[in-house]
Amino acid sequence: MLEQLLIFTRGGLILWSCKELGNALKGSPIDTLIRSCLLEERSGAASYNYDAPGASYSLKWIFHNDLGLVFVAVYQRILHLLYVDDLLAAVKREFSQVYDPTRTVYRDFDEVFKQLKIEAEARAEELKKSYSNPVVVNGNRKNQVTWKGDGSEGKRNGTGGGGGGGLKNDGDGKNGVKSESDRDGDRFVVANGNNNYGSNLKSNGGNGNGNVSVNGKDNDSLNNGAFDVNRLQKKVRNKGGNGKKTDTGVTKAEPKKLVKKNRVWDDKPKETKLDFTDHVDVDRDADVDRKVDYLAKEQGESMMDKDEVFSSDSEDEEEEEGDDAGKNSNKVDAKKKGWFSSMFQSIAGKANLEKSDLEPALKALKDRLMTKNVAEEIAEKLCESVAASLEGKKLASFTRISSTVHTAMEEALVRILTPRRSIDILRDVHAAKEQRKPYVVVFVGVNGVGKSTNLAKVAYWLQQHNVNVMMAACDTFRSGAVEQLRTHARRLQIPIFEKGYEKDPAVVAKEAIQEASRNGSDVVLVDTAGRMQDNEPLMRALSKLIYLNNPDLVLFVGEALVGNDAVDQLSKFNQKLADLATSPTPRLIDGILLTKFDTIDDKVGAALSMVYISGAPVMFVGCGQSYTDLKKLNVKSIVKTLLK
Amino acid sequence: MQELDQWKEHISHLLNVANDYIREIPSDQLYAAAAIAVFTTLILLLLRFFKRAKSNTIVLTGLSGSGKTVIFYQLKDGSTHQGTVTSMEPNEDTFILHSETLKKGKIKPVHIVDVPGHSRLRPKLDEYLPQAAGTVFVVDALDFLPNCRPASEYLYDLLTKGSVVRKKIPLLILCNKTDKVTAHTKEFICRQLEKEIDKLRASRSAVSDADVTNEFTLGVPGEPFSFKQCSNTVTTADASGLTGEISQLEEFIRQHVKP
Ligand SMILES: Nc1nc2c(ncn2[C@@H]2O[C@H](COP(=O)(O)OP(=O)(O)OP(=O)(O)O)[C@@H](O)[C@H]2O)c(=O)[nH]1
Ligand SMILES: [Mg+2]
Repeated sequence: MLEQLLIFTRGGLILWSCKELGNALKGSPIDTLIRSCLLEERSGAASYNYDAPGASYSLKWIFHNDLGLVFVAVYQRILHLLYVDDLLAAVKREFSQVYDPTRTVYRDFDEVFKQLKIEAEARAEELKKSYSNPVVVNGNRKNQVTWKGDGSEGKRNGTGGGGGGGLKNDGDGKNGVKSESDRDGDRFVVANGNNNYGSNLKSNGGNGNGNVSVNGKDNDSLNNGAFDVNRLQKKVRNKGGNGKKTDTGVTKAEPKKLVKKNRVWDDKPKETKLDFTDHVDVDRDADVDRKVDYLAKEQGESMMDKDEVFSSDSEDEEEEEGDDAGKNSNKVDAKKKGWFSSMFQSIAGKANLEKSDLEPALKALKDRLMTKNVAEEIAEKLCESVAASLEGKKLASFTRISSTVHTAMEEALVRILTPRRSIDILRDVHAAKEQRKPYVVVFVGVNGVGKSTNLAKVAYWLQQHNVNVMMAACDTFRSGAVEQLRTHARRLQIPIFEKGYEKDPAVVAKEAIQEASRNGSDVVLVDTAGRMQDNEPLMRALSKLIYLNNPDLVLFVGEALVGNDAVDQLSKFNQKLADLATSPTPRLIDGILLTKFDTIDDKVGAALSMVYISGAPVMFVGCGQSYTDLKKLNVKSIVKTLLK
Repeated sequence: MQELDQWKEHISHLLNVANDYIREIPSDQLYAAAAIAVFTTLILLLLRFFKRAKSNTIVLTGLSGSGKTVIFYQLKDGSTHQGTVTSMEPNEDTFILHSETLKKGKIKPVHIVDVPGHSRLRPKLDEYLPQAAGTVFVVDALDFLPNCRPASEYLYDLLTKGSVVRKKIPLLILCNKTDKVTAHTKEFICRQLEKEIDKLRASRSAVSDADVTNEFTLGVPGEPFSFKQCSNTVTTADASGLTGEISQLEEFIRQHVKP
């Protein structure tokens, strides 16, 4: 059953809702959809799952960009309603005919809707009959998944949904989408788009995205090729079925059928390797005494406190480049338009933007993002989201498509990179101080990204602001790690808590925090061993450390150099933390520290990739060798660099 | 193509005619015409500048869910229609307040902007603040305590914005949802906000982000913060967007945008 169908303006005013369905929705699925999906540049996804106590809904949406309307359908997830997309499209078409910006009541639409619903249901029924066998269409851009009335599929999902009943259904929990959920808001799961992404990584690590780092270039070009073909096909399809949407239900639904054949991860047996980190529990407190020497001297002001002056001199240059790219892509496009007609168009303002109009500009933009080291996956999703927000819009007079797309993308990027919650650590530290407990930060990340060095920088910065810092050496895995941290501690005259090696890092951290509350330290910075995201035992140990100590901040330290790998690292870290957590509400990554930012020139894409995939803000940027080389991310300049 | 050539010819011919015509006019007349043209543009520009100085824009801000959109439509239509959902775009319109539609005589319309509270959309605020005659910070008085810190942070950012401080844009803290008995009083809310901002002052002055630059510091150093210390006037009021009790807000609007 359809639970609700809402029509509202982008400004947030509900214009019409189905009174007849009238069921009061549990929780606030619509607001959550807007806050955590549509406003997070994920509107390119196919559907969105919302879980509230006693309900698990799926939501689908469609925009009318020219009129600024949003149509949202809510239905119970266990019922895989087939007609929702179709119905939404029909409602959009009919409603846009009666819509008048000055009018706010549309009770007469009730009747129209009733009729549309009946029609849509009938069409779905027909479709079911004519297609009893699922058809696989590869390379669907939206990764949209529709379940056909296939017996086995249906059953499996039925049990999954029913079992979940209250909170989260099991099937989804394991699908690697937990990385999407944020800690402080409602838990949410963006369904298919991202979901499939996670699965790709996991299931075909051998041949697909898995070895991007090895032969990244070939792969890219290959992918691009495939991409174009898809687009062309899509274009053709679009053209075919544009005019008469009503009676082409069958052809329309066809490309969406991508049956979830590759959901291998679901039944994949859990890896049960030996967890050797847990076995080294033997207590060997040889040197329990904290080594505190005071030797170092002032190093000057940390760059965190310096305002960065943002110059905007290369504005014109950028504009020109943008145009060039636009032109180039236009050449690629088969439909070359004459100079005169395009001139005329830009004066008169084009009727309505169609997807095919946007595509060349978006393609150019996507390529540009990718040359800036943005992971391909992310660039793709962003472009989809921008396309979704522009499709059907009127092009303003005296503007080109490429510049319209450019502006939309710029706004989207600013939105993504603007932190969702405040990143004022000092304020948090003071709050913790009031409660008389130390503020605990755990630094996590893969090997060799500079965790310890940047931990020292953060320590130095905190120290500059009269915060009593303590370091905890919980890298009991790599030899030399404790000594390295000890050196930093000595230089900065910061106490360090260490227990040598061969001890459970979770326990060391626990003792360190106890020690900190005893000696009145305000902040404990916990250094952990670098680990590859695939290393199950080590990830388990990390999960334990986090679970046991419940830190205030889990900071992911990542290199700004990484490209496609950034996504893999972060999503897997988050996923492993979620999967391996023993508590029902797992702790995920709260913030990101980007290191080696000084070495990357204009390849700043990792910042975007990481923020997009984790939803966590970039809290610090490490940009050099000395203790003062710690900065905040400058959103404006990053966006500018990305689009240059 | 041939058509184009014809066009070109036609245009060049017209140009020639125009050129000849201009040559025939004595030069002092030409100068006079030019002078008049310059003069009128100058006057137009000045008028525009003057108009901007007397702005009629009121900006509604506040956290997501505080009730801005509801209030916007109460001001505009005197109704909440069928309810609202989280805004994805600002609402903006120029109108005569609904409560004034029955009044006789010419009333100056107000330009009201409702800026969404979602943190990702806050950069939009900077587009509207420079031309604001007043800002309204809407606070959810019902669900205040859990939102106290985020609200204070937003308010702090607002109060330290260059445009607000420099132009001394008056601010109204509007405690919404007072139709419910469990709503907090505006005195309590004010006190809590002041306390929170006082703490923020300590940490914010230490961290100056590279992008969200707080150009100005708040209050008097060494003294606990109070809204009285702000360079712009900060007042408080009660309202209920749902039941339409927004008279105090309308008073504020008409105080700064004279009818
Ligand atoms: N009880 C009560 N509820 C109210 C009042 N005003 C608004 N609400 C409710 O608060 C919720 C949010 O209102 P909106 O106006 O959409 O909030 P907003 O400030 O525009 O939020 P964003 O658009 O997300 O920034 C709605 O469900 C309203 O019904 C009020 O005066 N009393
Ligand atoms: Mg709103």
